[in-house]
Amino acid sequence: MKRIFTKFSVFTFLCLLFMNAASAQNITVKGVITDGADKLPLPGVGVLVKGTTTGTTTDASGSYALSAPANATLVFTYIGYTTKEIPINNQTTINVQMGESSQDLEGVVVVGYGTQRKRDLTGAITQVKGDDIAKMPNTNPLSSLQGKVAGLTVVNSGSPGAAPTVRIRGVNSTNSSSPLYVVDGVHQSNIDYINPADIENIEVLRDPSSLAIFGLQAGNGVIVVTTKRAAKGETRVSLQSSAGVQKVVNTIGVTNAAQFRTLYDTYLAASGAGQMDYRNYTADTDWQKEILRSAFLSNNSLTISNSGEKTSTLINLGYNTQEGVLKFGRFQRYIARVNEDVKITDNIKVGADITGSHWNLNGSSGDLNNAIWAAPIVGVRESETAYYAMPNFQRAQVGNPVARIYQNDGNSINKGYRVVGSLFGEVNFLKDFKWRSQIYTDLGFNNSRGYTGLPFTVINLGEGAAPTEYFNNPNARTSVRQASDEYRKFQQDHTLTYEKTLNEDHKVTAVAGFTSIFESTTSLSGDRTDIGLNIPNDPSFWYLGVSDKSNPSNVTGGGREVSSMGYFARVNYSFLEKYLVNATYRRDGISRLAPQNRWGNFGGVGLGWVISEESFFKDIKGIDFLKLRGAWGTVGNGQGIADYIYLPGLSTSNSGVFGDNIYPGVAPAYIPDPNLKWEVVRGTDLGLDIRALNNRLSGEINLYDKTTKDIITQITLLSSSGNTSYRTNLGTITNRGVEVSLGWNDKIGSDFTYNISPNFSYNKNKVESIGNNINFVLFGNGVNNRTVTGESIGHFYGFRQVGIYQSTADLDKLPRMSTSLPGDIAYEDVNKDGVITDADKVNLGSPFPTWNYGLNVNLGYKGFDLLLQGQGVAGNYVYTQRRTAQFTDVNYEINRINAWTGPGTSNIEPTLVRRGNNYLMSTYYLEPGDYFRLRTVQMGYTFKPEALQKAGVKNLRLYVSGQNIHTWSKTTGYSPEVPISNILGGGADNGVYPLPAVYTFGINVTF
Amino acid sequence: MKTYIKTSKNFCIAILAMAAIGILGGCKKDFLDRKPQGAYTSDTYPYPKGSGPFDGEIFAAYDILRSYDCSGSGFIAATGIRSDDADKGSTPTDGPTSLEMDNFTITPSNVLVNDLWRGYFNVIGKCNIVLDKVTKDQDPGTPAESKVYAEAEAKFLRGYSYFMLVRLFGRVPLIDKLYDDPVAQSNVKQSEPAAIYTLIESDLQFAGASLPPSWDASKFPGRATKGSANGILAKVYLTRQNWGMAMSTANLVMTSGNYDLLIPYDDIFKETGENSKESVFELQATASLTEKRANGSQFASIQAVRGTGIWNLGWGFNIPNTRLEAAYETPNDPRKARTFLYAGGTSVFGEAVPASLPNTRYNHKIHSNPATRNAILDNFSYWMNIRILRYADVVLMYAEAANELGGTANTTAALKALNDVRKRARGSNAGILPDITTTDQTQLRSAIRQERRIELAMEHDRFFDLVRWGTASEAFQQAGKAFVPGKHELLPIPAAQIEISKNVLTQNFGYN
Repeated sequence: MKRIFTKFSVFTFLCLLFMNAASAQNITVKGVITDGADKLPLPGVGVLVKGTTTGTTTDASGSYALSAPANATLVFTYIGYTTKEIPINNQTTINVQMGESSQDLEGVVVVGYGTQRKRDLTGAITQVKGDDIAKMPNTNPLSSLQGKVAGLTVVNSGSPGAAPTVRIRGVNSTNSSSPLYVVDGVHQSNIDYINPADIENIEVLRDPSSLAIFGLQAGNGVIVVTTKRAAKGETRVSLQSSAGVQKVVNTIGVTNAAQFRTLYDTYLAASGAGQMDYRNYTADTDWQKEILRSAFLSNNSLTISNSGEKTSTLINLGYNTQEGVLKFGRFQRYIARVNEDVKITDNIKVGADITGSHWNLNGSSGDLNNAIWAAPIVGVRESETAYYAMPNFQRAQVGNPVARIYQNDGNSINKGYRVVGSLFGEVNFLKDFKWRSQIYTDLGFNNSRGYTGLPFTVINLGEGAAPTEYFNNPNARTSVRQASDEYRKFQQDHTLTYEKTLNEDHKVTAVAGFTSIFESTTSLSGDRTDIGLNIPNDPSFWYLGVSDKSNPSNVTGGGREVSSMGYFARVNYSFLEKYLVNATYRRDGISRLAPQNRWGNFGGVGLGWVISEESFFKDIKGIDFLKLRGAWGTVGNGQGIADYIYLPGLSTSNSGVFGDNIYPGVAPAYIPDPNLKWEVVRGTDLGLDIRALNNRLSGEINLYDKTTKDIITQITLLSSSGNTSYRTNLGTITNRGVEVSLGWNDKIGSDFTYNISPNFSYNKNKVESIGNNINFVLFGNGVNNRTVTGESIGHFYGFRQVGIYQSTADLDKLPRMSTSLPGDIAYEDVNKDGVITDADKVNLGSPFPTWNYGLNVNLGYKGFDLLLQGQGVAGNYVYTQRRTAQFTDVNYEINRINAWTGPGTSNIEPTLVRRGNNYLMSTYYLEPGDYFRLRTVQMGYTFKPEALQKAGVKNLRLYVSGQNIHTWSKTTGYSPEVPISNILGGGADNGVYPLPAVYTFGINVTF
Repeated sequence: MKTYIKTSKNFCIAILAMAAIGILGGCKKDFLDRKPQGAYTSDTYPYPKGSGPFDGEIFAAYDILRSYDCSGSGFIAATGIRSDDADKGSTPTDGPTSLEMDNFTITPSNVLVNDLWRGYFNVIGKCNIVLDKVTKDQDPGTPAESKVYAEAEAKFLRGYSYFMLVRLFGRVPLIDKLYDDPVAQSNVKQSEPAAIYTLIESDLQFAGASLPPSWDASKFPGRATKGSANGILAKVYLTRQNWGMAMSTANLVMTSGNYDLLIPYDDIFKETGENSKESVFELQATASLTEKRANGSQFASIQAVRGTGIWNLGWGFNIPNTRLEAAYETPNDPRKARTFLYAGGTSVFGEAVPASLPNTRYNHKIHSNPATRNAILDNFSYWMNIRILRYADVVLMYAEAANELGGTANTTAALKALNDVRKRARGSNAGILPDITTTDQTQLRSAIRQERRIELAMEHDRFFDLVRWGTASEAFQQAGKAFVPGKHELLPIPAAQIEISKNVLTQNFGYN
């Protein structure tokens, strides 16, 4: 594609050449061309005197010099960058920053088994530049996509090393909605092993016609990651380093000791129970403060690259470390990547790429709900090995939140090792053909060891006059555990590409290919408890073999094998740069299904019309480019199928016990459907791309209508076969939406540049049918979320609160439950039958946002740059499930201070008495999930190249950055970004890990 | 022309390349033929040699019976706490769902009723799988005896589970087979209790006729026998007030020679008393240092003393109350000390119970031996078996049925049975619990009912007894509970199940 583009540019220049030739006094103009984003010099930039054949290219340091008329205009061109025209106006030095941006139409986009110019796309593909990802202090690059791509929902977690939940264009399926990741060609379910600073581009493929080439893997969208290659013609060493601190900005409001006592006394009195004697419980502990901390974070990346005539090499080393704000979690990752491309002849190229990564996780045993629930009247500890137990009313259910953290700190060693490698060979032949074969492997080894030590001394302060007791559990013994699992993947891709331009008018690119993937895993784990000896708290002893084999031990192991293969072909055709056609076909098979159902055909068609190329458009001023496009495609969701469920799987976890004899019990794990097949996703896209006002304004609008058919529905056969389920293809889900991305790129004067790019997307999800004609409903998270025909997937399902019954008169007057009492929540009598029953439960809203939006602002003034990023969602709700704990008395969240205590005291907060009616799912436990988060504020300064040259430094940028500094939200939890990974039961805040504010200082230097 | 030749040459190459791709794919024809790893399917499971080829499926049903759903808080609350002899216990505010059972403030969203519903239907489903397999088994090598035993055992467990369901919920869906179309059976309407009882009786009759009188005692202690089936069937007849069949069926158990009343009352509930001659049907649980809980039941620990330190034995639910305490005809009845474990008192194993505990009384019958706790290094006694049906229960059923039938011979038989139970209770203390001598049917009825209450105190039948005697309303009125006759004899159908059924299931009277 690049080659064609070059031809095309030459053609453009030739055209320019024959236009007119100005004549004036010649002067010598020189300057340095740099990349507008990373301020690095750009070698090989074409510099042409407009309207002449006079021209040159920049050297390795980005410098040029040429002789040109003093009143002429210079044209700067470089592949993948916006062409710039600058009048000389007698200047002898013209330094130019070339703008490379995602809005650039000439940019090349990876489309799966090939590339395409952005301007020729007929589907919805958004590119995010690696620089925009590298700037963010996130260890997982996916976290940085949040708010940058319309149609993409990213839910981040502050937990060290945790991968975010990613959804493309809503929730497609009741089974799996995670996209496929394609990293330099290799298919992945995560990209945890990628150094964020080592990414060239990320493309988000969203419409079924673009996805069709991936067949059964692509039902939920595809995210393509391309890692960096050595820059042409130079040797470069660059270091990107940042370090900072993470802080939890808002904790959950709970009562302090005095407030707790007041509420608890009121509650006991109202419940008719005796008063609590607090004499032994005099502390005032803020348990959240005790388990949270300010935590360190650092990201570092060193890249060495060299590119010559024949070979190009890139070496990248990365180190990330992130402590958890919840004591004492810590994640560390080391990454090394080597990439080498060798041009054997002009037509034969081979290359290899290998990435090794190693992570190290020290998980936290802290439990956030534990700290919310623990009574504040208890102190933390008497000594480092003696911790206070909770009062009797919650002792059995709520442990000391700090004790569990210290008890397990450093008690587990979790390490992972992963090697991802690929080899490719590419042969160009017969001028227009290219054969490329690539083989990949991904090998992972995870290893963990752990220890359970003797528990701390528990101090029971005792109730009332009861004495303080110190207790060491005589039944406790030390134990060790070990686990290892291994993961392998082998993939091969072979493609033949034909690329031809006929008569300058017809451009054809055709690709055909074959791919196969094999994946397998094995795992082994065990533990052993030493009955006789106390194993020391020292990692060098934490192996099963340390204890004699007569001690009780458990060992287990498992494995998995799956494979898939496919044939594919795609033709891209463009006529006069005006009319674009893309057609794709894929035949795909997976091992998970019965042989007769294994293979399927998928495909897509995309059409584009570049209206701005039409002659009638030449007169329209202000619009530089306008393209209308439409696409249709069908893909499969092979990820939604659990392995081999067409076979009659057995559950062997039951046991028959007779006396002390234990016998294996077997039961069908489910009822198999031998005709099970994949879910099919079909969709239509309409899109409009526009560039206007001298390319300063860019815009992209997409409308989509996507249908998933043959949803694999799990029907629980309660009454017939004892809670086993039957999974079969029944159900249809639609997602319809709009995506709008805008960009405004301009400068004021010569020094001040700015760029504003907002985007938003709207998605409407509807379950068209579930279980088809049978009377059927799916519940999630108990019965708090419901999936039913005609409404959005996994919505919250319960009662609407209308108030509080203030008195017995209210009970007589208002519809109520048979068990309602004054102080209880009054629910809406939806069916107007005069009583509140389950028939009054309704759809209370979706856990999935209908609106996603983002705003990115870049400002530049001389060497200074300022980046502002914000992101938000709207239209969803959060279920405060942490507040529904009724297993015992727990600390109160601060809203309970206003609890109803008698007529007129509250019409929102029910009585403190724990009554089942008030714990039912209702709007009382829902909060609007809308939020807007100031995601990034980053201020940087880039030193002038001249000032650095003496030190041999090509580029130096220093910056300070703040992440998640402020969030506008009505939610009361740590973060409005509650998990939505559970499709049928998402959106519950039941101890969500805080997303901390992050303050970092960073340096980028290139030699 | 030149262009044409060139193009066709290109096409040839393209076709060759495509062929090469085809070969790459084609030669790997079995590339997609993969299997589950490390897991069986019903086609690959190497069924073990046991008493029959259906054991694996049957054992899965036993597993569910001792699980939390069938033997946990729901079972304890519905059969114990709900009665007039026990209170919720634990700490005042722990376990509000159990308190709802205790106080008859229960609502359909109570999770315990859902556990019970799910649990017993799970057992029934497992039994239907066994029955389906037995019917479809065409293997000439399958011993005819093992087919009959498997069918009988599955029908016994199904009959018992339906007996629990019908007493707990009244109308429940009747599912007695696996349907050919799984979707069609996803949502079945409730049947009237009479239809459920018809199935229960025919299941238990088959089981009573076909199960072996005993199993190899070293391999299968506690496995359901002919006696278990007839014992439960007698209780079904008693519940249906079919006195004649109740008496004759109880008599089958009593004349089988497999049971007696010789084990001292104190020992029945100990670990060493498990599967004794007193045991007619007992859910089996065990534990070891390696598996402290997976092969056990939470039944005992939910009720065990809720102290601190070494007295943190459990949650302390289901405590015998002062009404029961007052119901003993003499405080010296040795059964009282074995039923009540007092704070500050002494356990049957000689332990000194701490004086300061959240409650003053605990269920002594589920209290485990400290020696076992120390050996297994676990205070939560998951190894304690659950005595579902004791021989004394059968004897008292016989007495009750005989007295209801009336007539001299039957009254004599009733008195004999009743006094046999009292004799064992009396032990060596001749001065207490004298033989009952009345031949007046009404007086003897109350004597038998009183004996059931005391002999079987805290053993899951008190609530059901009150309901079948028609004395529930009166008893709960005396206990000061808001029992609504016509409503509170049954639990509500779980709201979650009605939701899942999209209102195909309908709620019990008074709970809407």
